Amino acid sequence: MSSPNMLTKFESKSSRAKGIAFHPKRPWILVSLHSSTIQLWDYRMGTLIDRFEEHDGPVRGIDFHKTQPLFVSGGDDYKIKVWSYQTRRCLFTLNGHLDYVRTVFFHHELPWILSSSDDQTIRIWNWQNLCTMTGHNHYTMCAQFHPKDDLIVSASLDQSVRVWDISGLRKKHSAPTSTSFEDQMARSNQNQADMFGNTDAVVKFVLEGHDRGVNWVAFHPTLPLIVSAGDDRLVKLWRMSETKAWEVDTCRGHFQNASACLFHPHQDLILSVGEDKTIRVWDLNRRTSVQSFKRENDRFWVIAAHPEINLFAAGHDNGVMVFKLERERPASAVYQNNLFHITKEKHVRSYDFQKNIESPSMLSLKKLGSAWMPPRTLSYNPAERSILVISPADGGTYELISLPRDASGAVEPTDTKRGSGNSAVFVARNRFAVFSQSNQQIDIKDLSNATTKTIKPPHGTTDIYFGGTGNLLIITPTSVVLYDIQAKKNISELAVNGVKYVVWSSDGLHVALLSKHNVTIATKNLEQVSTLHETIRIKSATWDDAGVLLYSTLNHIKYSLMNGDNGIVRTLEHTVYLVKVKGRNVYCLDRAAKPKVLQIDPTEYRFKLALVKRNYDEMLNIIKTSSLVGQSIISYLQKKGYPEIALQFVQDPQTRFELAIECGNLDVAVEMAKQLDRPKLWQRLSSEALAHGNHQVVEMTYQKLRNFDKLSFLYLSTGDQEKLKRMAKIAEHRGDMTARFQNALYLGDVQNRIEMFQEIDLYPLAYATAKAHGLEEQAQSILEASGFTEDQINIPSAGAAVTPPRPIVPTHKANWPTRAASSTVFEKALLGEVEGTSIEEPAANGYDDEDLLGDEAPAAAASGLGGDEEDDVGGWDMGDEGEADAEDDFVEVEGDEAGAGSSEADLWARNSPLAADHVAAGSFETAMQLLNRQIGAVNFAPLEGRFEEIYQASRTFLPATPNMPALVNYVRRTVNETDSRKILPIIPQDLESILAVLQTGKSAMVKNQLQDGVNVFKKVLHLLIINVVASQAELSEAKKAITTAAQYTLAMSIELSRRALVQGATDISGLPEDTRKRALELSAYFTVPELEGTHRSLPLSAAMNFANKNRQLNTALNFANALLDRTGNAKLKETARKIKTIAERNPADAIEIDFDQFADFEICAASYTPIYQGSASAACPYDGTKYHGKYKGTICKICEVCQIGAPASGLRLVG
Amino acid sequence: MDPYSPEGELINIHTAFHAGAYQQVLDFDTSSFSATNALPTQVLKLRSQIALGQASEVASSLAKESTPDLVAVRLLAENALGKDVLEEVKKLVEKEGQENLTVQIIGGILLEKAGETESALAVLSKHEGSLDAVALIVQIHLRQNRADLAAKEAQRARKWAQDSLLVNLAESWVGMREGGEKYQSAFYVFEELAQTAQSQSSHSLVAQAVSELHLGRLPEAEAALQQAIALNDNNADTIANSIVLNTLLGKKDEVQKLKAQLEGVDKEHRVLADWQEKKEEFNKAAQKYTPKFEVAA
Repeated sequence: MSSPNMLTKFESKSSRAKGIAFHPKRPWILVSLHSSTIQLWDYRMGTLIDRFEEHDGPVRGIDFHKTQPLFVSGGDDYKIKVWSYQTRRCLFTLNGHLDYVRTVFFHHELPWILSSSDDQTIRIWNWQNLCTMTGHNHYTMCAQFHPKDDLIVSASLDQSVRVWDISGLRKKHSAPTSTSFEDQMARSNQNQADMFGNTDAVVKFVLEGHDRGVNWVAFHPTLPLIVSAGDDRLVKLWRMSETKAWEVDTCRGHFQNASACLFHPHQDLILSVGEDKTIRVWDLNRRTSVQSFKRENDRFWVIAAHPEINLFAAGHDNGVMVFKLERERPASAVYQNNLFHITKEKHVRSYDFQKNIESPSMLSLKKLGSAWMPPRTLSYNPAERSILVISPADGGTYELISLPRDASGAVEPTDTKRGSGNSAVFVARNRFAVFSQSNQQIDIKDLSNATTKTIKPPHGTTDIYFGGTGNLLIITPTSVVLYDIQAKKNISELAVNGVKYVVWSSDGLHVALLSKHNVTIATKNLEQVSTLHETIRIKSATWDDAGVLLYSTLNHIKYSLMNGDNGIVRTLEHTVYLVKVKGRNVYCLDRAAKPKVLQIDPTEYRFKLALVKRNYDEMLNIIKTSSLVGQSIISYLQKKGYPEIALQFVQDPQTRFELAIECGNLDVAVEMAKQLDRPKLWQRLSSEALAHGNHQVVEMTYQKLRNFDKLSFLYLSTGDQEKLKRMAKIAEHRGDMTARFQNALYLGDVQNRIEMFQEIDLYPLAYATAKAHGLEEQAQSILEASGFTEDQINIPSAGAAVTPPRPIVPTHKANWPTRAASSTVFEKALLGEVEGTSIEEPAANGYDDEDLLGDEAPAAAASGLGGDEEDDVGGWDMGDEGEADAEDDFVEVEGDEAGAGSSEADLWARNSPLAADHVAAGSFETAMQLLNRQIGAVNFAPLEGRFEEIYQASRTFLPATPNMPALVNYVRRTVNETDSRKILPIIPQDLESILAVLQTGKSAMVKNQLQDGVNVFKKVLHLLIINVVASQAELSEAKKAITTAAQYTLAMSIELSRRALVQGATDISGLPEDTRKRALELSAYFTVPELEGTHRSLPLSAAMNFANKNRQLNTALNFANALLDRTGNAKLKETARKIKTIAERNPADAIEIDFDQFADFEICAASYTPIYQGSASAACPYDGTKYHGKYKGTICKICEVCQIGAPASGLRLVG
Repeated sequence: MDPYSPEGELINIHTAFHAGAYQQVLDFDTSSFSATNALPTQVLKLRSQIALGQASEVASSLAKESTPDLVAVRLLAENALGKDVLEEVKKLVEKEGQENLTVQIIGGILLEKAGETESALAVLSKHEGSLDAVALIVQIHLRQNRADLAAKEAQRARKWAQDSLLVNLAESWVGMREGGEKYQSAFYVFEELAQTAQSQSSHSLVAQAVSELHLGRLPEAEAALQQAIALNDNNADTIANSIVLNTLLGKKDEVQKLKAQLEGVDKEHRVLADWQEKKEEFNKAAQKYTPKFEVAA
């Protein structure tokens, strides 16, 4: 068996790799090369971390220390070097070997290094050579410590494998706890040297069996097994006990020298590599080949296993490859609150997210596919409670399996349906799609595994996934196609490379497409929403109910919003596969397929989501309740264009000022500017405020900046004359003539200007000004003052003087209409002024076009609300809406050979001997015949309701073709039956419900509502006359119910007749004697019918009291005794005892009544008189009530249906 | 191209029609449909109107039409109003029944309603690849209690029409007679229609409820019926099936109330007639026995 698809995780290119070591914790491997270099790789990231080059010539042995940042190497320069990868230096070198060093290994706990060398020795070192083991008489190729015991195993070209006992060495070097004389004696005795003067290590076993040199040998991690590989191309398995070791078996398959081998750390497998360019996997128990992988050109030299995770590395002529034997992604499916997954033992289990419990195994899939291949995917069908499992074995197989109702252990599935295919998913409750890669075909199958439709997918299709309502997602290497199964056409296509997994959001509106390094989010119509890139491999994803995608990489859980914003949620120590997120819990499966719950803090992405959805209440809530601060969120907000929200988080005035400017919040800006009071800030504020039209702020900033000119102009433009005048004054004070001139000009103050010109000796200008404004006198005086005459001056005519316009509206009193600030809604929300949640923004506030999600948000929110309640039924919509094209070779409908058939109702009558079934069939006549024969029924009037009920309940009306009357269908009680000879109708009011009715009758009796009770019991009798029961057990229950109902009816009828007789009086002394006698008799007869349990005490106590009151002390005494026997009721007992005491004094009856308590008799239900034994009597064939012989032939008073004493075969209720 | 095929523009309106979502059919925006589809669309809408109880409007609006399709619809409307149109139908079928699908189908309906099953099947057998006709044939076979013929007919259609709605429906109708696992399959089909917005109607909900009732899932059936009642509390089939359900649940008072309601909605519903007939049968059968209540003096 070969698998061309090895799950290669990493490959390096280099010269020949001779040694490999995995770091026990970090994703690192050391590779020692033939070229004398040692490389340290991060195989997860695929990067070379470091190189160590001090050896001279090939380096063959390499090992990481288990706990310290150390490693050891051994090379052809005879040297063993110990390195620190932290300081990146060789710490020290061990010299001693006299030839190439082949392997070096650290001891798992002692500070020892074990080396094997071509000098035929094996040596143990700490900082010096502790022990040299000699015995091999050729190169020793490999030597390894036992993982627990003080043993070493070695392999040599002398064709032997040796096991060495080094317990002596350990004793010698462990710190002595006591140095008693005995101890010393013991040690000195033990230290008796062998013939080489060597006592620390002794050969325990020599294993011979290889015909050529042995290249590699390894211990099993837990079992007493050894595996070796040799130049005889064989991999041999050995077993050892305390006293001996022997060869178990040989794995044959390599067709060149086998270079190295090892046991799988967790599974019963052996892995070996050879110069035949193959990696082979063997079944440890059967020694058969499980898998083999061949490389084109490179011979393999070495193989190593990661001690914990399912990873292996093999070194070959051109580098190293790191690979997995099997996929670790556990097959799983989530439905509502349940996760269904397949464990490493190939058991199907479920996990309840709400209760956080894992079910016991429900099924064992051991037999599915190959023993060593875990199932790849699982698809769950909630309606049928079945699963579809894909196994990669045999080129891909699927199996459709029903889950048992309750998890009762790992049972083998029964009734499975299977076929070949590479992917299989349910597309509707009764349909699933199977994709076969080899013939590029998708079959739509029904639950009986029959193909209903065949689809030709696009070329190069690699996988299929559920595509929402009646659709499939077809994955090709370069795109994803949404395919409508019904219409058989592509709906849309999205170009995404290398999609491997597809994850639907819980509302089915969005889908995440995961490829190795990309996550693409698309709508259900496959319109791309966003995409993001990760440098580290993406493993899995799941959707938050609010529409946030959480995904896991090798070492992080991250989130992505719809708009592509993403970030880290938490780091991971081990790879996990996310399956669901609920609140702060992330549910996932680890590599061992165990459900795990991880805690996360969703605040950040919730906040960002709320931001995107403009859900201000939610944001507010988050701001108030969580400590969401920090530069990252602020810069995020700023970057995303939400400075006004960022403003809420910031304390630093400078930043606040910047943000306030950015979002146009002038109040905050002013406040901050006042705090900081820096000209630069005022400057910025002034221009911003001007842009807003907020001239009051502008005014303030100009004042702060002492920007008089601008201030004046501002006052001019706002028409603030007062302030303008003040400006003029100020200008005067400052002696700033230009400013003074300007202000005067603004104010239209001619006088001031003239004065000013005069002050600064600009008489010509003063004169011209005066002249221009027609101030002749003043002009004249100026002239005089300067000594000119009018003729000497030549003034150009300049028309009339202009006065500045007067402001019409005092706009300085209020601000101009200002530009709206963008913060309004959020700030109002902050201030608690807005009640609603996501309020649509007015268009003016600046961020209406910027996010695409704006439109989607409400929808997503809405569906988020509806979320979990509605199950995924919508998603199951197969979309069977439509008709396919009519084909040309349409077959003409044949005329039917015969006319109408018989209806199902007719079958019922044929199939059953029970009256009820005949009633349902509508065959009332035969039903009556049956009842007459069985129980002598003759009076059917009381049963009319029952007939009607049964008939009515068995016919439904199915609307079919429009404009046609509904189709009548026949309701069955044999729901699962299809054999027309066995189908039977449903009969309303089954035994169970009748027994409940019976109970209400009894309680009516207890409550002394006798007439109601009689009605109820008669109803019970009428229900049971026409009915069916399922079994003999039920039949006897039914019969008992009939008797009970009859006896209660009788008892209550007697009592009712007594009450009618005495008209409710308890004292009957005033009545005629025969009436009194009859009343007393009836009272006594009331006690005769068989009532149940405690109910018997009711008539007894009534009769006792009644007799006592009427001085029938003997009778009262009898009843009191009977009552004392029967009742457990303390109160009744008390009364009974009292009456007994009284009655015993004089046990005599005033009136002789016809009641012999010691005789065995029954009461006639018609006359309410005793029927003593021997007298003629007749019974009702249905309820068994007794009558005096003379009533024979009349209708039973209890059931009111049957003829007393009629010949009858007995009621049938079971078919 | 078949306008009812998945690619055709009539697919959705046709689906709604067969799901009994008549109001949706009437509300359908058909303005963009091509001219060739105008007549079929009109026929669907008119039939929906009749189904909604607006037969008299339809009849009067078509009084002067001579297009055979519309004549057929008029006859259907008049039949719904209680007129005897059998002779006219026969004439129309004889004249146009060879080619005209609408005439075939409506002719089939009217002939079957009049009890002329043989002629109904004969005219329907002339159809050329119409699933409407197939479905009707299946229904007629079922009315004949010939589930075997109905199943054969549906199976034949399945071969060329694959997973079409009408094939699924027809199979489901047959399944409701066959029982066993077929009940569940039928339920899936009905429920799918009933729970999809475009095809949700009292018609489809009642179908769902009926299948649940047959499956013995009374609470679910009750829920579906209540949904149907919420949509339309005047649908005779809904009420008739509610009576069945309440009978099974043992709610006698509710049954009496519903019966009264049904009489108000559709006095001539066959259920009422059937029950009345059975009542008489009961009395007749009961009279054969002469109960004696008292001992002869």
